[in-house]
Amino acid sequence: MTGYIAKIKKISKQILDEGTVDMVIGFRKGTLALMNEPCFAKTSKAVDDFVWDGNCGINLANYLTSRKEKIGIIAKGCDSRNIITHIIENKIDRDQLFIIGVPCKGMLDRHLLSAKFPDEILNVSESEDAVIIKGADYEETLPRKEVLQENCSVCIHRNPVIYDELAADLVEEQADLDRFEAVRKIEALNAEDKWQYFEDLLATCIRCYACRNACPLCYCPTCFVDESKPQWVGKGQDTTDIRTFHFLRAFHDAGRCTDCGACVRACPMGIDVRMFTKKLEKDCFESFGWEAGLSLDARPPLDTFNPDDPNDFIL
Amino acid sequence: MKVIKIDKKEWTSGIEQVKNAYRVFGPIKEENKEFSAFKELGKGVTPDLSATDTRLSPKGIIFPQSEAMFEFTTDSTSDDCNLMNVPEKDYSPRAIVGIRPYDAAAFTLVKKNFDTPEYRDNYWVDAYDACTFIGLAVSSPSILDFSTSTKSGPFDETGLDVLLCDLDDHFLAKVISEKGETFLKAAGFTNIADEKDVQKIDILKKEAEDKIQSRVFFDKIQSYSILDIYEANFWEDISFACINCGTCTYVCPTCWCFDIQDEMQGKTGQRFKNWDSCMFPLFTLHTTGHNPRGTKLQRVRQRFMHKLKYFLDKYNDGIMCVGCGRCIRFCPVNIDIRRVCDTMNSFEPAK
Amino acid sequence: MEHMGIEPGRIQFSWVSSAESTKFVKVVNEVTESIKALGPLKHFVKAKAKVV
Repeated sequence: MTGYIAKIKKISKQILDEGTVDMVIGFRKGTLALMNEPCFAKTSKAVDDFVWDGNCGINLANYLTSRKEKIGIIAKGCDSRNIITHIIENKIDRDQLFIIGVPCKGMLDRHLLSAKFPDEILNVSESEDAVIIKGADYEETLPRKEVLQENCSVCIHRNPVIYDELAADLVEEQADLDRFEAVRKIEALNAEDKWQYFEDLLATCIRCYACRNACPLCYCPTCFVDESKPQWVGKGQDTTDIRTFHFLRAFHDAGRCTDCGACVRACPMGIDVRMFTKKLEKDCFESFGWEAGLSLDARPPLDTFNPDDPNDFIL
Repeated sequence: MKVIKIDKKEWTSGIEQVKNAYRVFGPIKEENKEFSAFKELGKGVTPDLSATDTRLSPKGIIFPQSEAMFEFTTDSTSDDCNLMNVPEKDYSPRAIVGIRPYDAAAFTLVKKNFDTPEYRDNYWVDAYDACTFIGLAVSSPSILDFSTSTKSGPFDETGLDVLLCDLDDHFLAKVISEKGETFLKAAGFTNIADEKDVQKIDILKKEAEDKIQSRVFFDKIQSYSILDIYEANFWEDISFACINCGTCTYVCPTCWCFDIQDEMQGKTGQRFKNWDSCMFPLFTLHTTGHNPRGTKLQRVRQRFMHKLKYFLDKYNDGIMCVGCGRCIRFCPVNIDIRRVCDTMNSFEPAK
Repeated sequence: MEHMGIEPGRIQFSWVSSAESTKFVKVVNEVTESIKALGPLKHFVKAKAKVV
């Protein structure tokens, strides 16, 4: 995956020079380890700043919402699924986009790694199967699959599902995974323990809304938590209000979430907010056989009625 | 200048003793987490001085994220109907033990805003006045620490009453103010250090400052006209990645903006202030529906212009930043204030 | 909601046509009884915002 960047740059420069697009959205190297910064290039010179490695976990589909230009965009599997969702929801036109597909082998879990190495990580380098972490007075090599974001380790759509050109050959998809193990663990708890689980999960939430704002699905002009007429939810640090924000946001993502993990990656407190959305992803999959963002032609399950829809919850 | 020597064997008992006279706040590890936060310390809990680099700055001890300002009732049978009453507040002496020097210096910047000849924010100023700041000098600054560029530093005394220096088996406590002296007395720390010890502080200070790798320069920003730099063409590039979350402003020790909210249950309610963020679209939304800062670029520009230009111009006393590095570390998309500051400083106005 | 710790049975759905008055009465009575059996709601009750 580390070798993709030459091809990414080549394609980006070509589509800029030929005038196919006005800008290309990608990543540039961050100023600290495990971080890259989303950026745009409007000239082929600016493309030289682009990087591609395991620290490109932010979902770039988030930067497309309602843009008017012709845009080239670098898309991993999850990004491409959110691009499809964006197109279905009329947030961008397919004709505006030139999608540079990037077959992905998973992104590095910055929360996990910085917890594992309390002494500042100064440099991270990657090979196909290993990650080398360097600090001022240590160096450690870890198997790549052990330090992936959790959503990446249970991902079954690493290859982009929509693209105009690929940056590399498609990768083998992971199979025989238990994608919902974490959800089932919560499902097995009794009601009180479930409540406590989410209380503990959200205990350090500062309500900065990084999870919401990093999410390509959260593009409402005014989010329900920001509404004041009527005011749906209190704006302070009361735990009821914090929880209301999180679970209602998850509901709004039902049948749309691609489990890209941008929310968790963005959270400054490292809260695993996927534990809300993952349940809805599981329900949508089990009830409707639905996975979001796989096709431009299928309507999402909460958008359609089918006489076969499960209705055993109706008394 | 007086320096007290505190044997670490006496530290815990001294902190326990001082709790009789102060509410003591200090850094402790969050339950089941690898990071820490400043909290009020109950009996038997000592501050974890290995964990002073908290994710949230300690500003919340003086300026809580949500704070009740008034309570009210709309019950017409009550004598207090429609009156705004200030709820009972505890402004008894409090102390923050283990605050990093630049986090304490941040309060002096915030004070410029909350305590002016015209206006006094009673909630903030009363809490600030009640507080004694016991700083712990930073001996190993992080790679993101650029505090020496901001008039502060790892041993900065500006916002402190006492500066503690860790010397393995003992602390040297430099007494900076009367408040600090009172605190040390209340803790029973009275053993005056000898001259040789005192000199160590300066050596340690120099060592710590030399370890700092990050620098920013803002020497030229004041010379540019506001309008030129406001219209500069680099803002699109700087702001592109921003997702407009509130992380940078919430973790920042110098960000002071707040929003006022009323909440009612039945006929009683309270009015409280919540931290707000200039990153949020709601921040400047008018009741007419017009939003003078309707785009991301405008909001990002505002944050950096306020910290690095307007504040500098208004007070002629440095930038509104102490260089703690939190916003760099926790920004989800790696927008780096050092890079922005350098971009602004090396700006070339169009002729 | 149940996944988050609200007791099973606290939230119920039904489909009642405007012509099904007896079903309506039956459903309302059943829901009332089962909710009473659960007792008062413990969560999502915000008496007064807990702030400093």
